[in-house]
Amino acid sequence: MSLLQEERDIIVSNEYVDSFDFAEVKEFVKNASKDLFISHHFKNADKMLVQPRGGFPTYKKQFALNEFFVNANVDVLPLTIDSNTRLNDYSTASRMLRLSEENDVDMLNGYPLVNHGYRTTRKMITHFNKPVSLRHGTPDARLLIETAIASGIFDIEGGPITYLLPYSKNFPLDKAFLYWKYVERVCANYSELNEPINRESFGPLTATLVPPAITIVIQLLEMLLSLEEGVKSFSVSFSQTGSMNQDIVTGAVIKKLAKFYAEEIGCGDAAIHLVYHQWMGAFPMDKDFAEQLINMSTVIASMVGADKIITKTREEASGIPTKEANAKTVANTQYTLRILNGLPTIVDEEEEDILTLEVKAIMEAVFNDPADTLWRKVFNSIKNGIIDVPFSPHIINHNEMITIRDANKNIRIIERGNVPIPDRCFEYEKSKCDLTKDTTSIVNDIIHDIGIMM
Amino acid sequence: MNVEKDKLLIDVGSTYFKVSTADSIEQHARDFNKKILDDLTQRCGKTIDRFAKEDVYICSSANGGLSTLIIGITQSFSLKYATNIAFNSGINIIDTVLYQNIEEYSIPSDLIDVVIVVGGIDSCGDIFGDDLYNYLAKLNYSNIVFVGSEQDAPMIQQNIDNVVILPNIIDSKLHIVEEDLKDYLTNLYQQDIEGKEDIKHLYDITANQIYSTPYIVNKTLPLIDGSFSVANPFILLDVGGATTDVHYSKDLVDDNIVTENEYDRLVFKKLGVYKSRPSLVFAAKNNEFVYELLMHLKVTENIFEEHSEKATKILMQVAIFLVLCKISYYRKAYINLKLLAINSIVLTGGITKVLSNEEVEDIVAFFYKKILTSEHKPTVVMDGNYDIWTLGAKGQE
Amino acid sequence: MLGNNAIMKVVTGVVGNDIHVVANRLIDLSLRARGFEVFNLGVNTYLEEFFDAVVETGAEVLLISSLNGEAEGWAREVKTLKAKYKHLDNLILMIGGNLVVGTGKAEDIVPRFKNYGFDLVCHQVDLNTGLDMLEDFIEERNSQ
Repeated sequence: MSLLQEERDIIVSNEYVDSFDFAEVKEFVKNASKDLFISHHFKNADKMLVQPRGGFPTYKKQFALNEFFVNANVDVLPLTIDSNTRLNDYSTASRMLRLSEENDVDMLNGYPLVNHGYRTTRKMITHFNKPVSLRHGTPDARLLIETAIASGIFDIEGGPITYLLPYSKNFPLDKAFLYWKYVERVCANYSELNEPINRESFGPLTATLVPPAITIVIQLLEMLLSLEEGVKSFSVSFSQTGSMNQDIVTGAVIKKLAKFYAEEIGCGDAAIHLVYHQWMGAFPMDKDFAEQLINMSTVIASMVGADKIITKTREEASGIPTKEANAKTVANTQYTLRILNGLPTIVDEEEEDILTLEVKAIMEAVFNDPADTLWRKVFNSIKNGIIDVPFSPHIINHNEMITIRDANKNIRIIERGNVPIPDRCFEYEKSKCDLTKDTTSIVNDIIHDIGIMM
Repeated sequence: MNVEKDKLLIDVGSTYFKVSTADSIEQHARDFNKKILDDLTQRCGKTIDRFAKEDVYICSSANGGLSTLIIGITQSFSLKYATNIAFNSGINIIDTVLYQNIEEYSIPSDLIDVVIVVGGIDSCGDIFGDDLYNYLAKLNYSNIVFVGSEQDAPMIQQNIDNVVILPNIIDSKLHIVEEDLKDYLTNLYQQDIEGKEDIKHLYDITANQIYSTPYIVNKTLPLIDGSFSVANPFILLDVGGATTDVHYSKDLVDDNIVTENEYDRLVFKKLGVYKSRPSLVFAAKNNEFVYELLMHLKVTENIFEEHSEKATKILMQVAIFLVLCKISYYRKAYINLKLLAINSIVLTGGITKVLSNEEVEDIVAFFYKKILTSEHKPTVVMDGNYDIWTLGAKGQE
Repeated sequence: MLGNNAIMKVVTGVVGNDIHVVANRLIDLSLRARGFEVFNLGVNTYLEEFFDAVVETGAEVLLISSLNGEAEGWAREVKTLKAKYKHLDNLILMIGGNLVVGTGKAEDIVPRFKNYGFDLVCHQVDLNTGLDMLEDFIEERNSQ
């Protein structure tokens, strides 16, 4: 038996798992309907795929949510996991699930997949026969991903960096890399049986003034860590920045460089896709305004040329949205996409050059780290501040980079910390901002820049 | 295809020594009436003679390891960081003193191998003063190292004879900086071996550096899944004759420490089944669950007075239970591990020769049920052939 | 004790199970903008860590923020805990944010928290006003 298989046997022999039958799961994946694979849809769709967000604790409510989505003409169904499961606390999840079932009050903020188990969940997934995307935020997602794939969920979001730096204060990053390596290997193994399992990185990160250079570097690194384990279908992603031009530039550079670096490591045969997140920052309380913002995001996603868009709802500012509001966004987004024709092509060569130089300089610094494996090079680079994510709560993050919006609302780097932004690029970024103000006013600008959509 | 040069690996423990070649492993109880080298050559002389000095690798925990007293200014930073570094450098006995209350601490009577003084970031000065010098004047120690604020370093240098000054282990962001202190303590271990008559003679049969056993084990852990069916996060227990070592995956604690090693270590100094037997029995008698545990094992407290094979077995089972209690939330200690999250428990050392897999699993299940009221069942892995140590020792070149 | 030009050190962070990273980083940036040397312990910090960080850094100010309204729960322990430290008598202790759950009047809340041992209490006060208060307080103390 292979070492990975021995580890898998231990992982699934958890007291909250009802006997895991690997042979049966293998047969299931092998014979599963192509419609369940988002990689298959990416290959054949001639439009941007629309995917909402959402997860409810009970099977019944999740089923009802999916029905609403399907009636609204959804392309990809979401399955958002509750926060206890994200912390591997299946015991609390189990208790809260029981309470939710007994009292009709939602005691969890998502679907506790491990507790429901794959035999049950698979019934729902195969019933709707749509691709499902797993949304979670788990540093150690080994058991969760085993259960997801066994259930028929073949689009797996997350990664060791993007699921850790925005959410955790002290989960050891090196451990997260090793746990995600397991996930990549499992996804790669299953990919040989049918259409490939798609992995997706979480580009929004902290969704607070993260400059495109940092977003792209992290997307590329998670992509490389995934491809080097044998994954054949990968989605890089980012969220709306607040400037249409910056979004278009980011989209162009990430597409170009994803292809470039995939080929560099000899994985040019993998399919790379682009996912766009509608505005991930603070939303307006006014629900009609929220709808306008969502609609604008859809237009920008089209300008960017995304393969998939992940939607928000008009109720974003007020907690977990109802299934009605959620389905409404799906229908509206599909409508906007249908009537949005004859889009112009916009290319900003100067901005693309600057961003490309920045990304390549950071990537080079990462590759130059003396460690022997890519994941340890990345670990060291984060520890040294070569990669620095604004507003991350994690203790390993340097927090020395400072960003601000320019007059056109582009996110600009005004303090680079240890991030090796080339001098020419750094001067360019700063030249776009008014830095003659006193520092307190600049901080006030940052506060305003975070809440620009309010 | 890979023809590996045959090596001789020797581990000298407080109770046993082990000798391993590519195709054999032998274990002998030590004869304390003899010098280690004589004992070793008498029993395994033929094997040892087969190897050139360059091919012999020795690690040892027989000298009991170094004892340390750490004087720091806070629990969350200076004392915690220094303790973490000391344990990971293979130090066994650690006592701590909170500097602001230094006058209230009694002076330990035993000779302390190394005193570590730590506190303050570099931009903070004037931390240490006469209280420290007065305390040190009464203390019996062999080495002293200062790893606190660089501003205080000159004063410390002036007032303490033979103090070694190293870079601060706390940086300006209040993060830990391990390297210098770790190297210093590891080297001190070397000197300690060289200074101890008995062990020093082991250099007659090896041309390689002698390391401390826990240091070797800790280095091996990231590679362990290459030899065993083990899944992270896991803990490794080495219940020895004098002390018990615990190595644990870092994600089992919520500590705000960023380090490069994936596993941390801690030691329970009076928990062992031979030399430390009296204190183990004492701890057992004071644990409210041990009575039930003995019932479960179908014996009475009288077993603690017996000296039989069965008594040793029971004592080892009790030791496993007590260690698990000490590192769980049931007891507040230096750290508490998230034991509900572990996938495996690895056991190494003499215990694997005495207890069966089932006997260990039984104790582990009892612990989870009684203390954590859970059905959690991590896999139990027994390192019966000393593969972990062999793997680590081989890597030392 | 301090000259007017000396750089003041501030330890800051968010207490307990409070994940307001953005607010925490903004306080950090604002303090730096005003010339303070900042030691930011981030979110989910324990009370002991705050005081320990003050000792290790030699900070003159401890600014704790709490936004989830749970400050009342732990703020009572501040006095007892601070008393265990021998050299913190001159520490300026400040708290800011949403200090209570639901609605509460500042004129009730401020004296209550001062009684818990805080020198400066900012309940739902905007960041710049709060930091102005801190600077005034420091100036007043230095002129005494």
